[in-house]
Amino acid sequence: MRGRQKYALMNSLGAAVIRFFLTLVLILFSQIAGAQNSPAFLTQYCITCHNQRLKTADLTLDTMDFEHVEKNAAAWEKVVRKIKTGMMPPSGARRPDRAALDNFASEVETRLDRAAALSPNPGTPALHRLNRTEYANTIRDLLAVEVDVATLLPGDDSTEGFDNIADALGTSPALVQGYVSAAMKISRRAVGDRTLIPTQITYPAPSGLSQDRHIEGLPLGTRGGMLIQHTFPMDAEYEFSVSGGFGGGTGGALMDVTMDGEKIAVTNPRSFRLAVKAGPHTIGAALVDRQRAAGVDEAYSDFRVKSVFTAAGAITSVVINGPFSATTPGDTPSRRRIFVCYPAAAGEEVPCARRIVTTLTRRAFRRPVLDAEIDALMSFYQQGRKEGDFEIGIQQALARVLVAPRFLYRIEEEPAGSKDGAPYRVSDLELASRLSFFLWSSTPDDELLDVAGKGRLRDPNVLAQQVKRMLADPKSGALITNFAGQWLYLRELAKVETAAKDFDENLRQAFRRETEMLFESIVREDRSIVSMLDADYTFVDERLARHYGIPNVRGSYFRRVTRDASSPRRGILGQGSILTVTSVGNRTSPVTRGKWILENILGTPAPVPPPGVETNLDKDQEAVKVTSLRQRLELHRASPVCASCHKIMDPIGFALENFDLIGTWRELDGKSPINASGILVDGTPLNGPADLRQALLGRREEFVATATEKLLTYALGRVVQYYDMPEVRRIVRDAAPKDYNFSSLVLGIVRSAPFQMRMKKS
Amino acid sequence: MAFITRKHLSRRTFLRGAGVTMALPFLESMVPAATPLAQTAARPRTRFGAIYFPHGATMDKWTPAAEGSAFEFSEILQPLKPFRDRLNVISDLSHPQAYGGGSATSNHTRSAAAFLSGAQAKAGTQAYLGITMDQLAAQKIGQDTPLPSIELGIEDASLSCGDGLSCAYRDTISWQGPTSPLPMQNNPQVVFERLFGDGSTDAERRARRGQSLSLLDSVMGEASSLQKKLPSGDRNRVDQYLNDAREIERRVEKAGQQISADLNVPPAPAGIPKDFEQHIKLMFDLWVLAWQADITRITTLLMAKELSNSVYAKSGVRDAFHILSHHSNLRENMDRFAVLNRYHVTIFTYLLEKLQATPDGDGTLLDHSLVLYGSAMSDANQHNHNPLPIILAGSASGRLKGGRHIRNPKDTTMSNLLLAVLDKLDIRTDKFGDSTGMMQI
Repeated sequence: MRGRQKYALMNSLGAAVIRFFLTLVLILFSQIAGAQNSPAFLTQYCITCHNQRLKTADLTLDTMDFEHVEKNAAAWEKVVRKIKTGMMPPSGARRPDRAALDNFASEVETRLDRAAALSPNPGTPALHRLNRTEYANTIRDLLAVEVDVATLLPGDDSTEGFDNIADALGTSPALVQGYVSAAMKISRRAVGDRTLIPTQITYPAPSGLSQDRHIEGLPLGTRGGMLIQHTFPMDAEYEFSVSGGFGGGTGGALMDVTMDGEKIAVTNPRSFRLAVKAGPHTIGAALVDRQRAAGVDEAYSDFRVKSVFTAAGAITSVVINGPFSATTPGDTPSRRRIFVCYPAAAGEEVPCARRIVTTLTRRAFRRPVLDAEIDALMSFYQQGRKEGDFEIGIQQALARVLVAPRFLYRIEEEPAGSKDGAPYRVSDLELASRLSFFLWSSTPDDELLDVAGKGRLRDPNVLAQQVKRMLADPKSGALITNFAGQWLYLRELAKVETAAKDFDENLRQAFRRETEMLFESIVREDRSIVSMLDADYTFVDERLARHYGIPNVRGSYFRRVTRDASSPRRGILGQGSILTVTSVGNRTSPVTRGKWILENILGTPAPVPPPGVETNLDKDQEAVKVTSLRQRLELHRASPVCASCHKIMDPIGFALENFDLIGTWRELDGKSPINASGILVDGTPLNGPADLRQALLGRREEFVATATEKLLTYALGRVVQYYDMPEVRRIVRDAAPKDYNFSSLVLGIVRSAPFQMRMKKS
Repeated sequence: MAFITRKHLSRRTFLRGAGVTMALPFLESMVPAATPLAQTAARPRTRFGAIYFPHGATMDKWTPAAEGSAFEFSEILQPLKPFRDRLNVISDLSHPQAYGGGSATSNHTRSAAAFLSGAQAKAGTQAYLGITMDQLAAQKIGQDTPLPSIELGIEDASLSCGDGLSCAYRDTISWQGPTSPLPMQNNPQVVFERLFGDGSTDAERRARRGQSLSLLDSVMGEASSLQKKLPSGDRNRVDQYLNDAREIERRVEKAGQQISADLNVPPAPAGIPKDFEQHIKLMFDLWVLAWQADITRITTLLMAKELSNSVYAKSGVRDAFHILSHHSNLRENMDRFAVLNRYHVTIFTYLLEKLQATPDGDGTLLDHSLVLYGSAMSDANQHNHNPLPIILAGSASGRLKGGRHIRNPKDTTMSNLLLAVLDKLDIRTDKFGDSTGMMQI
């Protein structure tokens, strides 16, 4: 196989040489002849390669009508992107100055936008099944039940970096079985399950968690430990067991156990029994800190580094077993939500059941329900009533609601008489669902359904009011964990295995928290999305501050700290989260960092290596021993095939080389001094992260467009296509006077044609 | 195997006794009492299983030097020695469909996809592959059991899979059809429930099966009426949901007939063990249990996902899996990777031991099965796909002679082996994936 690869490489090298000569000939030829119907810019800089004879990158600009860009809109969108991001014309080829490039790109954009305005295409999204997260959030909002969805449903497959893309949300027998069994379990839990036998649940401490300091949320004066949210199914007794190695040798465990913040007197933490009211409770288990009193600003710190505990003992797990001697289902949030009435006499049962089922179903189906639908559900109530009692009847009707396709799918009906290829507005109620799954990853609440039910949501002012209200609701935290978590790869942090010695679970969590809090501040304080790149503040706790070398930060809570203009760490590119997920375990990867920035900041995914190209730079074992990473990466320049892309990616990554694989600042890589210099593909010289940040800020419109594209992908639950680009540009344009603040982007998306409309396609 | 008396272990007792080292005592306490089901089979049925591991292996320490029945087990394969006459080492196979353009990430993604399909992963918003060999078998020999097949995994879903390829290609090795990837379940508790149903007593399980049948029945009625109001493109999706619901209805009915009071259903395991070894052994226990009780005859298992950076501390190697597979051709790295490969083989022998220890008709489960263990990556440092590391264990009810190292002409596609495996399962087909003929085994 090695032979085949070499052959392919030589083949493409040969082809490159031939191409070079052909290009020379064609430059001469085209300057004499000129291509018809194409402006001078194309003839001068593009058509020499992208023509019918060479078909470079399968693009034949000489056949594309510049007067009617709509005929090749997809290809023109690509042209715009390549030019705007400085990828084309390639370096080495003749290229005009930046102003001329930008002018031409915006000329093409204007034409594309004009054509799109005449015949808009809002797209035809596929039928959207709730993904796991949306399902769990919906159950939470519908029934006040927190479910561990991973134990109920199989995982969803991601596409283009997001797990809410309708096309990828297929079904399988395992999924349908999961829905059926989840519906039965959840309905039992929500109503109160009297068949429940004692079940043991273990909460293990995250491995690698250092427990020698105070952990946020636990009582002051303690160190380490865990904070657990547990929903107790019944008013009953429960057994608890807190385990851990409580060393120290002086009298064993000194533990601090709390429930909902109140101290529990426990003689033996390894086994104790408590009567607990049904519903969610917070249990804390921590170790009494005998070395330090709270608030003492000690002169030393002893975070676990190099895998050594500096303070002995840690809590390893909390086990909860029960219910025992259960009496009643208790007064839980779920039951308050379900039982909007309760029959005092047999005659009241059916009308009350009907009321309960109607209320639940309206919320579950996200629209008013028909009498016939309630009749069908009431037969499940009757069945359960016959087998047991009123509550079992309600539980069985609820189970039926939870397996309904109208609950599991976000149904958008096709209006009668709609024509093929004709765009139409989705109904107000369908719009309400689009809105709430975008901003909350969950089902609409009563207020949103009321407004939509009255047909008022399409009113732009009402819509804006609702968006404002929904962004202010804590449920919009879903944008942070789901949207930012996927866009910025924060979810990958959980899987990172790194050879870095100073890495522990506390740092892993702090990394994620910092970036989430930065994004959160942009959402909550409605700041410019550009702050992602250059915010003059960030959020740290003591652990993270130590990692970054920020002095005088003590304690486990996160606080805002200022980043002055000279800090190389301003914005996400100086944050440990991004720098760690773009490293490869035992070293930094300038290529991965460059590629990450191209994809997620500039919106220009790097082209993939051609088939058969050897991509392993570490083949020559002697070279690995004697050269620096930078020297090995320089090999990319030696081969024209590699250079064409790596000269785009590598310099971006080199600029961040002062940050090691977990983002610690360094001046040396082994024994070699760090060389953080490079030249961007558009010719901008860089040296270090501050230069890179400046260069990216110079391309802020591209960044905003990328953020918008990602947000639109997430909002629509479909991959953004070329025909969406005119809308993306409009959103960015309209947001400019507001300095691209977050709500202006969200409003732009919510008002856009793809968000409000769909097109019939047979 | 010791005969276990039919004693009901309460869930509490079990969990109390098992504590943290749950995986090991699990099987002993959970094996269903010898049931007529397994004992009276008139004709042995050959079961099929497949285990995928990513990142290939240090091939010069995998491939035995000699060919045929006189071979010596290589360093990595040493742990398989006790099963010599029940397995074959198969060398020089290739997976051409795992090659293709794109980044190293997509190369990894394509490997898992090609393993049992012999087809190439396509980019696009919807994943498109081909039916996999195990699922073709499930269509033919999986219809008499409550579950046509089970798919087991160890790790969580992937987030980014390279060059517009769907993560489905990397998340599963089982495809029911070109657009139907089957999710692999990594939670033993969920697998358990899939096998035996939900409930702590037979009566409870029975009642819940009844409830789920009436739910499914009613849902199918609703879905048909819904179809009329949907855009045409969406109707296919609801159709798919209906088909899956129908299939579940069939399985629940089958389970109702077959999983009777005969079976002493053991208590369910609780959640996902944190330790890899405990986790995978628990999965193997469930696998053997499912075959033994004839709940299914087909099992696939994804030991780790392509690009997994799991650390297997018990192997003695502290490096992350994928990173170590990029050994830079440095001997010391390759040797450390071989230690990891050997550790995984040792894990595999746990399954083989269980299968050999479980009586089935006139022999053992190992006699009456075929279990494929391998990868569609050869040298992950090169991202190449030949020669592949492949073991085929089990005697296929007397139809497969063991104890051989079988070499193939260079670059023979692995699909030729998949075709041969299908043949041993009495499934005749001329072609599978990119096969060019049937391998003689």
